[in-house]
Amino acid sequence: MLLFQSEEWIDKWCQRNNLERGEVLTIHQVWELSKLWYQDRLSVDYHGRSIEQVAEIFKQAGLRSDFWYIQR
Amino acid sequence: MNDTLLWQIRYFVYSHFADTTHPPPVDGTARHFNISTEEASDYYKELHNRHAFFLEPETLTVRMANPFSGIPTDFKVHANGKTYFANCAWDMLGIPAALHSDAVIEAACIESNDTVQLEINNGQITNYRAASPRDDLLIHFPLPFAHWYDDLTFT
Repeated sequence: MLLFQSEEWIDKWCQRNNLERGEVLTIHQVWELSKLWYQDRLSVDYHGRSIEQVAEIFKQAGLRSDFWYIQR
Repeated sequence: MNDTLLWQIRYFVYSHFADTTHPPPVDGTARHFNISTEEASDYYKELHNRHAFFLEPETLTVRMANPFSGIPTDFKVHANGKTYFANCAWDMLGIPAALHSDAVIEAACIESNDTVQLEINNGQITNYRAASPRDDLLIHFPLPFAHWYDDLTFT
């Protein structure tokens, strides 16, 4: 996941690398996602996540498009 | 394979990253748990297979224990008096989230080559700079979640 300063730079990067555009989130959206995703990563009790737990994190972060779809 | 020891080793690797900014070598992990290097190697491989962390191909060196990177990257995070490297733009925010700490982040914007600095203070992003006031800093996720682990270095 790469950092950009505008939508235009993303389009240029995708074009230059011949890649389709993926999903674009603001830094604030990714910060909210990061807190949900990583808050327990340094816990001794963290033993990975189930598909259901991942889906719940995406839901809490407001990520509901097909891009974030998880096959169960 | 002992499942309790497996997750203790995961925790040890992550704690080592948080404390030192780099991963423990497999023989150091073996010594810590008083097991053979071969046994520790098997646990490292199992944790890699379970996506708990990721080894450099054909080695026992931890390349990624997300959000931490075992190698220098364009995403530098200063926190708790240390400098960490993150694997990507998401993980640069993941480090202060994992550490539950404030941070100063320096990151390169891939296409413009500009360096951006932002700060995390008391759980909020502060003092960030975008190209123009109308623009927010953006993070591009190139692949849908279903394909993140196909090629993690690309992702």
